[in-house]
Amino acid sequence: MTSIAQVSDRTLLHVVEALVFAANEPVGAQQIANTLAKTTRDRLLDDSAIDGAVDRLNELYESNGHVLRIERWAGGYRMATVDAASVYLEEFFKQVRRVKLSRPLMETLAILSYRQPVTRVEIDQVRGVNSDYALRKLLELELISITGRAETVGQPLLYATTDHFLETFGLSDLGDLPDLRDIEALLDDPEFSSERARLLILNGLNTADPESDD
Amino acid sequence: MYQVSLRDFEGPLDLLLFLIQRDEVDIFDIPVARITDEYLTFVNSAEELNLDSVADFIYLASMLIRIKAKMLLPRPELDDQGEIIDPRQALVEQLLEYIRFKDAAAELGLMRQRRERMYTRGEASRAHQLEETTEATLVNTTVYDLIGALRRVLKEVPDDPQVTLDSIEHTVAQQREFVMAWIRVQRSGRFEFMVRGQPKGFMIATFLAILELAQRGDVVITPDYGHRDFEIASANGIVEQA
Repeated sequence: MTSIAQVSDRTLLHVVEALVFAANEPVGAQQIANTLAKTTRDRLLDDSAIDGAVDRLNELYESNGHVLRIERWAGGYRMATVDAASVYLEEFFKQVRRVKLSRPLMETLAILSYRQPVTRVEIDQVRGVNSDYALRKLLELELISITGRAETVGQPLLYATTDHFLETFGLSDLGDLPDLRDIEALLDDPEFSSERARLLILNGLNTADPESDD
Repeated sequence: MYQVSLRDFEGPLDLLLFLIQRDEVDIFDIPVARITDEYLTFVNSAEELNLDSVADFIYLASMLIRIKAKMLLPRPELDDQGEIIDPRQALVEQLLEYIRFKDAAAELGLMRQRRERMYTRGEASRAHQLEETTEATLVNTTVYDLIGALRRVLKEVPDDPQVTLDSIEHTVAQQREFVMAWIRVQRSGRFEFMVRGQPKGFMIATFLAILELAQRGDVVITPDYGHRDFEIASANGIVEQA
């Protein structure tokens, strides 16, 4: 109804769907808007118009019982299957084992993602161990990258997470990271003591420990 | 004695946290003397393993001993405002921070699990994924897995009937020659095949020889078969193939 010539709603949905489907990585709203403007010679749509189209596509998929959804990862849109379909896909892709991230890698990544940009020494201080190996592995897996050097003595390297990290963990941006839990909440959490129980069971220990009584 | 070894812990803070949780002591009022003793018992029993990471554990041990000593001082240290400084303060703060990030790591792990159940089109590029899997296998393998393989092979062999105390039948140096000769012929193969039917002394000496050769870069070890065995290959062979 507006006076300015505008892409039809149908075209908008088509283009968004086609680009997100065909791309092998998250596509940004801006990229979609640019493509639309160039091909239709219409005015450049703003990001919210694209985002609205994504919402509508998702509603369509859901109401029609499709297994696809457009997710918001690493600052872009990416088409992925819903959780309910995972059981079939797991079977289908069972030879393709996913990269397991060991505990040292996860710990290092956690500190890095909340503290970035951060130096190795700062990570070591939190973990109480040398994180050299973990950092090298994370660099190889392209979950982190070197972003520069700190201005402190020796100008140590600064590490930060990558877009691949965001996508791997299903995050739209770093603001999407869950808040670090308060220490009080953690200590009060029954899981804090259940972690203890888990360790005891894991290691085949007897809970009745003779040395803790003295 | 506990059935726990240092390799169950990410590092010294993880071990300390374990002791605190196990004994259900208040993290803000750690009985340093007791915890230090328990911590040292652990580290001492593991020291003989001669792991690189033991250095990190010993560093915290020295910190604990220093705190323990400070707490025994008749006159406590005071800060600028004349308040008593708890010698444990810095350690507790570090421990609390570690707990928060350990929790965050677990949380991130869950997020990744959820995300992994959503498949994208890139999933089809198998070659890339498989390449990364090999990487991960190496990440998760330690010398213990190799020792596990040795132990399994040894278990299936009856003890040597005669015990000779004065002569060593198989030296590591001899077995190094044996391994290199074997590899020249076979190119690569599993440890189990290499030592099949041989006495235990032979197996152990061969195992040590392989570790030495691997460290020198003469052979390449690939753990496999669910960590029940591993494969030995010529390092040169790999270079030639590449």
